[in-house]
Amino acid sequence: MTQQTLDAFQVIADPSRRQILKLLSKKSLTINALAENFDMSRPAVSKHINIMERAGFVSIQGIGRERHCLLKQDGFNELQKWINYFDNFWQSKLQKLQLLLDKKAQS
Amino acid sequence: MKHSINHSLFFPNPPEAVWEYLTNLELMQLWLMKNDFKPIVGHDFQFRTNPLPQFNFDGIVYCKVLEIIPNKKLVYSWKGGSSKDAVSWDTIVEWTLTEKDNGTELQLIHSGFENVENLPIFYGFKDGWLKNMHKIYNKLNTAAHDTTNA
Repeated sequence: MTQQTLDAFQVIADPSRRQILKLLSKKSLTINALAENFDMSRPAVSKHINIMERAGFVSIQGIGRERHCLLKQDGFNELQKWINYFDNFWQSKLQKLQLLLDKKAQS
Repeated sequence: MKHSINHSLFFPNPPEAVWEYLTNLELMQLWLMKNDFKPIVGHDFQFRTNPLPQFNFDGIVYCKVLEIIPNKKLVYSWKGGSSKDAVSWDTIVEWTLTEKDNGTELQLIHSGFENVENLPIFYGFKDGWLKNMHKIYNKLNTAAHDTTNA
């Protein structure tokens, strides 16, 4: 489990990676099947998959000789954590602003 | 679904008073963060807070003023990451002020997390946000109640 930490947002900044995730959200696919949807080579798709596997977006299961790619929750949780962070951040800041302006309205 | 952050709050103050707190550097610091904002379109500025290593965030938000309509609307970019050269989120913060019922409705939309658009996890988001909105609503109502009693 010695994984180098990858920035989830940077990992999915690439449009073809997002496309891969969308395809996988419908069903699990082999790398060959994925590659048919793109103008890039199988090794190129495989490279994207490996990065997304490291970042926790995808898991790979060997079934017989084939490797099936499936979506994995961990990477998405990272994105969610960050958006939740900002959501909470703004809530607390707006509360502060409301207290300040309440005081001002009363004075 | 869209996954921008969206908050609306009502203030019993005129838009001019709320606008001051959104655009005056010293007033902004009182509730938001340290910054070097100027109300000039195109002005680059920064907000500074504590670094969050778990999010690869160095604690500096890089911003640029994109739009100003005095007392009505303020838009700035909101970018950051592990350093200035390694920005991982490039988002937009938009403030809209609407005069209403002897006060001001302030709306905040923080958008541009569009990299994650249509990814499956986001179907689960809606409920969580709604819950949080109710929480803040309750908190503020209790707080307002407390001040009246005091």
